[in-house]
Amino acid sequence: MSAALEVSDLRLAIGGVNVVDGIAFSVAPGEVMALVGESGCGKSLTAQALLRLLPRQVRQTGGRILLEGEDITALAERRLRQIRGRRISMIFQEPQAALDPLSPVGAQVREASGLASAAAREAVRRMLAEVGIADPDRRIDQYPFELSGGMCQRVMIASALISRPAVLVADEPTTALDVTIQAQILDLLRRLAAERGTAIVLITHDMGVVADIAERVAVMYAGRIAEIGPTAAVFSRPRHPYTALLLAAIPRLADEPKSRLAVIEGSVPQPSEYGAGCRFVGRCPFADARCNAEPPPLLETDEGHFSACWHTERLA
Amino acid sequence: MNPVLAVDGLVVHFPARHGPPVRAVDGVTFTVAERETLGLVGESGCGKTTVSNAIVGLVQPTGGEVRVAGMPVRGADRRTLREIRAKAQIVFQDPATSLNPRMTIGAAIGEPLLVRGLARGRELRERVAALLTEVGLRPEHASRYPHQFSGGQRQRIVIARALALRPALLLCVEPVSALDVSVRAQILNLFVELQQSHAMACLFVSHDLAVVRHVCDRVAVMYLGHLIELAPRDALYTTPRHPYTRALLAAVPEPDPALQRAKPRVPLQGEIPSPAAPPQGCVFHTRCPMAIAHCREEVPAWRHLGETIVACHRAEETPAP
Repeated sequence: MSAALEVSDLRLAIGGVNVVDGIAFSVAPGEVMALVGESGCGKSLTAQALLRLLPRQVRQTGGRILLEGEDITALAERRLRQIRGRRISMIFQEPQAALDPLSPVGAQVREASGLASAAAREAVRRMLAEVGIADPDRRIDQYPFELSGGMCQRVMIASALISRPAVLVADEPTTALDVTIQAQILDLLRRLAAERGTAIVLITHDMGVVADIAERVAVMYAGRIAEIGPTAAVFSRPRHPYTALLLAAIPRLADEPKSRLAVIEGSVPQPSEYGAGCRFVGRCPFADARCNAEPPPLLETDEGHFSACWHTERLA
Repeated sequence: MNPVLAVDGLVVHFPARHGPPVRAVDGVTFTVAERETLGLVGESGCGKTTVSNAIVGLVQPTGGEVRVAGMPVRGADRRTLREIRAKAQIVFQDPATSLNPRMTIGAAIGEPLLVRGLARGRELRERVAALLTEVGLRPEHASRYPHQFSGGQRQRIVIARALALRPALLLCVEPVSALDVSVRAQILNLFVELQQSHAMACLFVSHDLAVVRHVCDRVAVMYLGHLIELAPRDALYTTPRHPYTRALLAAVPEPDPALQRAKPRVPLQGEIPSPAAPPQGCVFHTRCPMAIAHCREEVPAWRHLGETIVACHRAEETPAP
């Protein structure tokens, strides 16, 4: 089956520095693929690049983005407007901030549908019901302030999906929500991906969210993919020291309380501090001269599982 | 021995311009002893932040009492309040907004000692250097400004300042929620070290149940202004008695795909009701999978079940762990 979305060698620069440096991944229809990493790893910029919504100071310096086989990197703004919301959509972290406060939520979903008003109301009502909004006949005429955060996120998902896009980019969609509401939204996204065949690119910092919903995961660090593979494999057998340390740094419900958590010394480097070699070099227990000099290529270690590390074999 | 912190029947209502008051905290009782860390957990709007604000006198309680080291906070005159605030120090969520950008971190950490006349000159510098070392920074950092530090380092600075007066009680309000995973681990490790080296009591307010389990000795769960379960850590996590506690634990996504996907789902229907119009009877009954008619009518009383204190009519029917 051909990919809904295929990104190859994506490079995004601020100033003269590639803050996203050669990102490549693909997502199949109905698949949930997670981009996970800490602040500054480039995951949100990558998401914005997928919809060509990059801030002015960011320039794309390389790579291609194929949406259902069509390269959208060179498209004019007019063509892009026809694609956004119809073939690729996005939902954001703060649903209340992303919705227009002065417009009823039903009207906002309808606007995204592109349908004429007669047929539209019924289509919007059905879509609101599909994303789990109880009493859609009443909710359709309400304003965002009358809805809770979780319900606003459902409205955003409804407006993102009503035109049946091939790809949904979800940028930290549950980060602003409480855990019990987060669980509801993750269940909803999982169900919609399966039922509608939507490919979902999930941007998150939360390894728990990845474990819950993603079939594959790309772990990003300082603008590069450190490791990418099936979620189960990456979690059970990380092949990059950054992933391994990150997983060990998370307190879990099954751990010994007050035990010492693994620590990644130091903090994420600023783009101005990026060297010639591996960008994790300053914090890595395996770092040697070659790591400083040469960036490690992303190589397949197991089937479908790739890691960018000169010392993968040391992770038993 | 008297507890360092005693919260007894605390009620905080905020008047609304229209309609009934917001019942942010509605009768909360707990204590924290020396050398003990109590976790206070719950979702947004449950009242956990208001409880911590009431403890240091940042909001006026509508009813009930808070005592810090035996001193009642309510009705305290300025001098007593000053003394209470020396004994109870706070660490907030966002270290960037907790530090004055125009003040060197040495001056910030030394200020509590200076304004209370506890140290000055060379002694003050030595105390600041010792505090910096204690939180994993270096004495020469004292002359730098907050913007020269990363988020994790800034939280260390805030912790050093909170420790300066050797408080009896440390209040941590979402202290690691703004931090990245790798940095969060550093701060949690520091926190566990400080628990061992200091005798202070600690109230750890957080929405993150895995973090709370990692650092706390006992845990209190809040919902809609009410405390619904209070138990020693292991009892709470292995035998949660309240259906809300169970739902909360089930909703935490575990960073382990096999475990997470095998986990039975206990989805909570609907949303948290408005604290301006809390449900009659048990406040949780509108979302509770176990609710019966009795729950809609009568507020459940606090009951002891083994080591756990719980407010649920059906707490005995806890499914086996």
